[in-house]
Amino acid sequence: MSLLCVKNLSVGYETKAGLIKAVDNISFDLEKGRPLGFVGESGCGKTTIGMTLMGLLPDNAVLLGGSMEFAGKDLALLSEAQWRAVRGSEVAMIFQAAMNALNPVYRVDDQVKEAIVTHNPDICDSDLNKRVQELFDLVEIPQERIHDYPHEYSGGMKQRVIIAMALACSPDLIVADEPTTALDVIVQDQILKGLKEIQSKFNTGLIFISHDIAVVASVCEDICVMYGGQIVEKGRCKEVFSKPRHPYTKTLLGAYLSLDNEESIVIPEMGEMPDLTMKSGCCRFSVNCTVCSTACRTDRPQWIDISPTHQALCCDEGFIKDKP
Amino acid sequence: MTRYDSGKKGPLIEMKGVTKEYHPRKSFFSKAGNKVLALNAINLSIQRGEIFGLVGQSGSGKTTTGRLLVKLEEPTRGKIRLNGERINDLAGEALKNFRSKVQMIFQDPYQSLNPHLSIAETILEPLMVHDIGTRESRRQKVVDILETVGLKPGADYYSRYPHQLSGGQRQRVAIARAIVLEPEFVVADEPTSMLDATIAIQLFRLITRIREQFNMTFLFITHNLAAAKYLCDRVAVIHEGHIVEVNTAENIIKSPEHPYTKKLIQVQPGFRYNR
Repeated sequence: MSLLCVKNLSVGYETKAGLIKAVDNISFDLEKGRPLGFVGESGCGKTTIGMTLMGLLPDNAVLLGGSMEFAGKDLALLSEAQWRAVRGSEVAMIFQAAMNALNPVYRVDDQVKEAIVTHNPDICDSDLNKRVQELFDLVEIPQERIHDYPHEYSGGMKQRVIIAMALACSPDLIVADEPTTALDVIVQDQILKGLKEIQSKFNTGLIFISHDIAVVASVCEDICVMYGGQIVEKGRCKEVFSKPRHPYTKTLLGAYLSLDNEESIVIPEMGEMPDLTMKSGCCRFSVNCTVCSTACRTDRPQWIDISPTHQALCCDEGFIKDKP
Repeated sequence: MTRYDSGKKGPLIEMKGVTKEYHPRKSFFSKAGNKVLALNAINLSIQRGEIFGLVGQSGSGKTTTGRLLVKLEEPTRGKIRLNGERINDLAGEALKNFRSKVQMIFQDPYQSLNPHLSIAETILEPLMVHDIGTRESRRQKVVDILETVGLKPGADYYSRYPHQLSGGQRQRVAIARAIVLEPEFVVADEPTSMLDATIAIQLFRLITRIREQFNMTFLFITHNLAAAKYLCDRVAVIHEGHIVEVNTAENIIKSPEHPYTKKLIQVQPGFRYNR
């Protein structure tokens, strides 16, 4: 039984250029205790997925269809009032820029308290303080710093507060949207380790969104590779990274710089942006694909099974299956 | 007037005992703080035609080093030499001449380009300031340089504005602006940290090609050791204003000597992947 089951989700944005489909017909399952990573370039729709799961889409966004089954209800059908009860207590988000996610004029402990009080209006002061202390212990911020203002914190500490805030009501699902992008590698390492530890300790569902495949690889068990609003390849991290099959996944991994010596870098020839106004269902990667035939531009790509836990979306079954 | 002779031997850039202190000012909201030692007596020399990497975490002083080298800031103590000439006291014509020899590429292409200026105006500006060429030859030069940085055909981009370009394209324009005067030395301050991996790798290839084509010297500032390894001939690791290690990137990764370097290598996220 999966914690979250997303089926055929499509999200569009109304723009001057017409309707842009930022998320095109994606489906995935999230199991408890198996962190799921979304990886892709900017503009591939990964943040839109996170915002959809939080019910935080901007006004010009339209939910074009699909369902998000979570804890016995369909998140796609919730009204704003119902969302307010779910957001924070059942689903919580760790935002990208911790510097901007905290309110500069409130003390950090008050900001964490606000999240708890909103969902438990009857909580007494001593319980509240105890809970806040627990949370700051969990993210390893010393007690004497909890009354500080955000500007007195370093970037890593602010990110820890954001994590504490997300954990405040013990949600079942946490969406982490690029939680370490603004941090340097040493702090990033601490935050990722902390996040993973907390995730396994409470066995929460975790959706981890990042543009950095190495970060996703270090946190997640499963991975979805996205391009132009579509999931193009999904499966166990190990399988996807050791045997990438979709041409885009290969490009992405080929451009990854590592400290190891032996691996050669393949420089991608990607010029064109995917056409997001394109008719639903067509392969968005066809504009940049090197193995693409003319059929790819008109045919609908199919999910091709490579193993029971590893699939790729492509028109060319032969390419996906035959070549390593 | 001081002229720089590019035929000279010896390192292109030399920093000797360079220290930079900042003195936070007293303001309504804060007391006058203690002085901050951003760089502590660093020594560095960069050879001609080299891509030299400067790796460190935020606050380590790597950007300060870059800004000192292009004279956006002045060192508190110490000497900086370009082609053996001290740059500390340059003024007037000599300073203007220096500015044409040394350029910088900034981190964020969304902020470093003036939104009011078209791509052509952005790249023409340095040519006009230094009074190079005629109207027609400058125009041709802009188109050529746009094609050099991979914005083809150059005439297509000529009259566009920054907001019409993607992040990767903007950074290419920023590179074009920096190299249009054919400087001897370019400081690239985290030029790809805002960009996706597939775009970043294309820019690295571009920088390598420019180095060969124009025989330019680069200082590449980054927090990503893997990127430094891919691009740079030699790498310096900077930590809290000290340069703790200088070596080829391969040697640094294989046998780091300083504990900080070891830590830096250890925390690089990575995964096994068989190509």
